[in-house]
Amino acid sequence: MARRACWLRVLTAFAMVAAFMIAPGPADAQKKGGVLRVGNLGEPPSLDAHWTTASITETLTNHIYEGLFSLDRDNKPIPMLAESYTVSKDGLTYVFKLRQGVKFHNGKEMTSDDVVASLTRWGKQSIYGKALFAQVAELRAVDPLTVQMQLKEKSAIVLISLAVPNNFGAIYPKEIAEKFAPEVKVTEYVGTGPYKLAEWKPDQYIRMVRFDDYKSRNEKPNGYGGGKTAWLDEIRWVPVPEVATRVAQVETGELDFADDLNLDAYDRLKGNANARPIVSKPYYWLVAVFNKKEGLMTNQKLRQAWQAAIDIEPIMKNVAGGKKEFYRMDSSLAPAEITAWHTKMSGLPWNEHNRDKAKRLLQEAGYKQEPIRFMTTQEYKWMYDFALLSKQQLEDAGFNIDLQVVDWATLVKRRNNSKEYDVFTTGMGAFYDPTHHIYLTASWPGWTTDEGILKVQQELARETDPKKRMVLWEQQTRQFYEKVPVIRYGDLFGLRAARNTVKGFNESVERVRFYNVWLEK
Amino acid sequence: MLAYLVRRLLAVIPVMAVVVTVVFFLIHLIPGDPVSVMLGPDATPTQIEGTRKALGLDGPLLGQLLGFYGRVLRGDLGQSYFLDRPVTTAILERAEPTLVLMACALLVAVAIGVPSGIVAAAHRGSIWDRVLMIGSLLGVCVPGFWLSLNFIYLFAVRLGWLPAAGYASLFSEPGTALRYMVLPAVSLGFNQSALIARISRSCMLEALQQDYVRTARAKGLSYRTVTYVHAFRNALVPVVTVIGVTTAVLIGGAVITEIVFNIPGLGRLVISAILRRDYPVVQGVVLVTAATYVLINLGVDLLYAFIDPRIRYD
Repeated sequence: MARRACWLRVLTAFAMVAAFMIAPGPADAQKKGGVLRVGNLGEPPSLDAHWTTASITETLTNHIYEGLFSLDRDNKPIPMLAESYTVSKDGLTYVFKLRQGVKFHNGKEMTSDDVVASLTRWGKQSIYGKALFAQVAELRAVDPLTVQMQLKEKSAIVLISLAVPNNFGAIYPKEIAEKFAPEVKVTEYVGTGPYKLAEWKPDQYIRMVRFDDYKSRNEKPNGYGGGKTAWLDEIRWVPVPEVATRVAQVETGELDFADDLNLDAYDRLKGNANARPIVSKPYYWLVAVFNKKEGLMTNQKLRQAWQAAIDIEPIMKNVAGGKKEFYRMDSSLAPAEITAWHTKMSGLPWNEHNRDKAKRLLQEAGYKQEPIRFMTTQEYKWMYDFALLSKQQLEDAGFNIDLQVVDWATLVKRRNNSKEYDVFTTGMGAFYDPTHHIYLTASWPGWTTDEGILKVQQELARETDPKKRMVLWEQQTRQFYEKVPVIRYGDLFGLRAARNTVKGFNESVERVRFYNVWLEK
Repeated sequence: MLAYLVRRLLAVIPVMAVVVTVVFFLIHLIPGDPVSVMLGPDATPTQIEGTRKALGLDGPLLGQLLGFYGRVLRGDLGQSYFLDRPVTTAILERAEPTLVLMACALLVAVAIGVPSGIVAAAHRGSIWDRVLMIGSLLGVCVPGFWLSLNFIYLFAVRLGWLPAAGYASLFSEPGTALRYMVLPAVSLGFNQSALIARISRSCMLEALQQDYVRTARAKGLSYRTVTYVHAFRNALVPVVTVIGVTTAVLIGGAVITEIVFNIPGLGRLVISAILRRDYPVVQGVVLVTAATYVLINLGVDLLYAFIDPRIRYD
């Protein structure tokens, strides 16, 4: 027996060596070292992942911190700091086993105390944390590597909430999680991620350096999760507010990577021998959000008239600078990249551009040419563009649109006050679960308080069977097109650029990640 | 002289008080609030309210203004909401890039402006005069950002002679710093040189028509001596005024250049602070810029006495 085991071991070793030798080239081309300079559009408001939903904070903090779960390439939850988990038969108790030997950047080993303190703080501040903790009765440490979550009711959103990358349940050391109240931003940045913060000079750069004691998972990289290797010595995030400058700096090689570029730079980048454009998707679907608490748009017929009137394709084409690569016509509320929740339903009143129907609905609504206050901003060119084009189409159908162009800070302030607007523009990024679609909730600006919609949202939060959830989600989609809480335009894609020396970049995720990326210089 | 100085310095106080109050109300009058910006697009109103309380933004405006006065008197400009540091620190960090850019741009502006003004005046009506004045007209007309972006495209992207954007400290890496500074200084300086050239030309023309110039010529002095020594010195007073004004403009007005060339200076600080409604930073930068403005004007007034001994302040 022992002899056979020995032989087996030798055989396995041979097999492994052979496999290694015939492994395809790219694996051994990976190189350690170098500084990756990334140009982005501004300063993050904070590096506290629990505190803000800002996308720039999401991008940066996901290099420093990790949560219990992450998302795989199909945007489904997979364990990250958790080793494994079990769910009790009644679905009310979740037990998470943590990975052993995971170290924080300060050298301390991560234990269940850190997890409990961090998730408790996250549950009081983050939009996803708050939604989950509304269902949590108790979260406690069982032993140093086990955490137990007791629920008040059955929940479908435990794992996905712990896995979302935005405003996420990052694990901080207990001392930090308890030192800063949830509504006050953390100013000590210690995580378990592959990169650690080295220096932050506002308006100049944020330097992250490799965390040498990082303990990677053994799996291959998979979506946002799986194994992570910090090949780069340093990631230097440089805020470059002027977009034309970001493009120029990738062309000259002063930057290795630039995010959030104007689509008109696409052809120029394509013609560059040393850099390449990257189409980023999902990016946003364009949306006009109605104020359903007060004013004209509380009238459902009027909202339906808007939905019937618009001709989406020419709007999208224009916003995308005439380039087919940058937009997609789709009525599903979840973008095609979120495969689990993407719907293919026919017969929905989407993109009807039926002017007669619109006129009829306007009449039924009793609309008397009152001006509709439509708020947008030029800070995001695509918002202004689609608002302007909508105004033209709507006025042709008999609407009277008062387009109010304000700066972004004004827009996000005003949209919280139901007296100040009727409609506003924004974009909907990737939501990884039906319950995360903020425009279907009563708490987000625009206030969707329709009982039918909210009821299905509640059922979606409780129902754990994926098939039944999909049925509910399709029901929700039909409700959406009937009640029209917001207008879904088309999908818009973004533009990034990378120097040819940047290797291993995962192009199929919503926001950039630079672990597993190396430089060939 | 001393009494004049004290009088002028005392007059600064009411000016600053007015500036502080006006700025405070202006920035608070624009709608928008820092918390909605910081918490990101998906934040809910309840979340926003909680954080507003934590930052003390829910109190009445008058109370906030009085608190601000009190702190300014103690030399404290408050804490930035967005940057997690005192406003004074934020301003000091960004003073160097702005001052270096200002000095370099001023150097370029004077080096182009004064000689072209004098040459144009000395050769009035000639082809030189016309070429230089058309050049300065262009300098006034061409928008700064357009010039800057074209400079970047030509000299950085196409020719690769200079870096497109960025900043290095003059004190730690002087060589790199100068390479970074060439394009912003030239594009900003070229814009500013136009006014200096026009003023220099008209002042020179006026000086050249004075009696003493004729007398000097009659004495048999050379054309060069008369133009460049006698007339030039007398034409200098208004030119110095314009250079002073330009300096002050550059302190707070190099915003576009700083953004396009990604220079982490005061102009960029104040613009991003306005967009984020980071009230303490806006107030702090405006206060400091206004104070500098007033002091530069005072400096220019005092300089007159040295250039033109006929000017006395007592």
